[in-house]
Amino acid sequence: MAEGILQVTARSLYISAVASLAAFAAAVLTSSYLARSRRRVELLTPVFESLVGVPTTVVGLLVYTLLSPRGPLGFLKLLYTPYAVMVGEFLVALPAAVAYMARSFHTVREGVRELVLSLGVSSERVVSALALRELAPTLLTSYLVAFSRAIGELGVALIVGGGIEGYTNVLTTAIALQASIGKYEEAIWTGLVLIAITVVVALAVRFLGERVLWR
Amino acid sequence: MEVALRGVWHSYDGRTRALRGVELVFAGPGIYVVLGPNGAGKTTLLKIASLILKPSGGSVLVDGVDFWGLSEGERDVIRRRVAYVHDKPILLRGSARENAALGMRIRGEVDEALLEHYMRRYGLTDVEGLPASRLSAGQAKAVTLVRALTVRPKLLALDEPFAFLDDSRARTLVEDIARIAEGGGTVLVATHYMYRELRDVVSYVVEIISGEVRSVAKLR
Repeated sequence: MAEGILQVTARSLYISAVASLAAFAAAVLTSSYLARSRRRVELLTPVFESLVGVPTTVVGLLVYTLLSPRGPLGFLKLLYTPYAVMVGEFLVALPAAVAYMARSFHTVREGVRELVLSLGVSSERVVSALALRELAPTLLTSYLVAFSRAIGELGVALIVGGGIEGYTNVLTTAIALQASIGKYEEAIWTGLVLIAITVVVALAVRFLGERVLWR
Repeated sequence: MEVALRGVWHSYDGRTRALRGVELVFAGPGIYVVLGPNGAGKTTLLKIASLILKPSGGSVLVDGVDFWGLSEGERDVIRRRVAYVHDKPILLRGSARENAALGMRIRGEVDEALLEHYMRRYGLTDVEGLPASRLSAGQAKAVTLVRALTVRPKLLALDEPFAFLDDSRARTLVEDIARIAEGGGTVLVATHYMYRELRDVVSYVVEIISGEVRSVAKLR
C-alpha cells in the first residue's frame, strides 16, 4: 500500500468524527421531538430500531443513487469524495443513536417533569435543563454508538467513496483492499488499529464524561 | 388552602379505575391521613389533590376555583403553594445538598439558612457532599423531605413518608408537619399504617379502599 497507515487513520477519524457528530446532533433533536409524547416514542422508535438492521451496503446503494451523476443530487458532484462517505456514515449512524436515546429521553423527561411539578413548578425550560443533565451518560454512550457505527462500516465507504488512495480510502476500505490482494498481515494490523481507535475513543469520552460532564 | 375533589375518578390505562367517584374536602389547616391498603388508590388521590395529576373525570376545586379550568399561568401561581413527596425517593444527579436545595433553586429563591436548618434537623450535614447515588434509602428519603419542606408549602402531601425513615427522623418529621398545620398549612399523609407518633397530631383520617373513600373520621 502506497499510502501510510497514519494518513488512512487520520482520514478515517476525520470522516467518522464529522459524520457521527452530525448524526448525534440530529439524533438529539429527533429524540427530543419523540420524547414529548408517549405515542410518538412507541410508534416511531421501533422504526429507527428496524433501520439499525439495514445493511450498510444497502445504505451505500441508496446514497449512490442519490449522488450519481444522473441522480437527484448529482449536480452536487459529491460521489467518490470524502463528503459522500460522510453522508453515508451519517445515515448509518443516525438510526443507532436515535434507537439508543429516544426511550431514555422520554422516561427521564417524564420522571423529571413529575418531580418538578411535585415541587410546584411546571416550566418546560426547567424540565429540559434538568433532564439534559440526567441524560449525560446516555448522550455519551449514544455518541459512542454513532462513532463506532460510522468508523466500522464498509459498505458505504466502498460504494460511494471507492476507497481511492490518498482521498477516500479509510481503515475499513484499506482492510478490504489488503485482504483482496492477499496482504493478510497488513489487513490484520490495520484491523488492530481500527479496534484500538474504537477502544481509545470510548475510554477518552468516558473519562471526559466522568471528569467534566457527570460531576 | 382548601382542596375539594368533586366526583373525581381516574384511570391510568382507560380500563381499570384507580379512583371511583371521590367526594372529599381537605378543608383548610390540619393533618389529614389517607389510610388504606396497597393499591387502594392513595397515591393517585394524593397526586390529584397535590395538583400534579389531572383526573380522568370530576373536578378539583382550590379555594372554590376549578383548578384544571384555569390557564397555565394561573395554575402555576397556585402550584407554588404546594409540594408533594413521592413514596420512593426521586433524586437527581449531584450531591445530597444540591438535591435538597432543588425545590428552592427551581423556584429561584434559595434560602441557605433554612436549608442548613433542615439538613441539620434530618441529620444530613455529614453526607451533604455525597453524590445522591451513594445515600442510603433513609438518607435519600430525608433529602426529599428537606427538599419539600424548604419551599415552605401551604399544602404538603407526603406519600408513605415514614418508609425508610428511622425513628428519630420519623419523630422529627411528625414535629415538622405538626408545626406546618399549627401555622395554618394543610398536610396530607398517605400511609398503609398509622405511625404511632402521628396519632397525637392527626386532624382527620380518610379511609380509602379499592379507589373509594369509605369513611372520614375527625380525630381532633
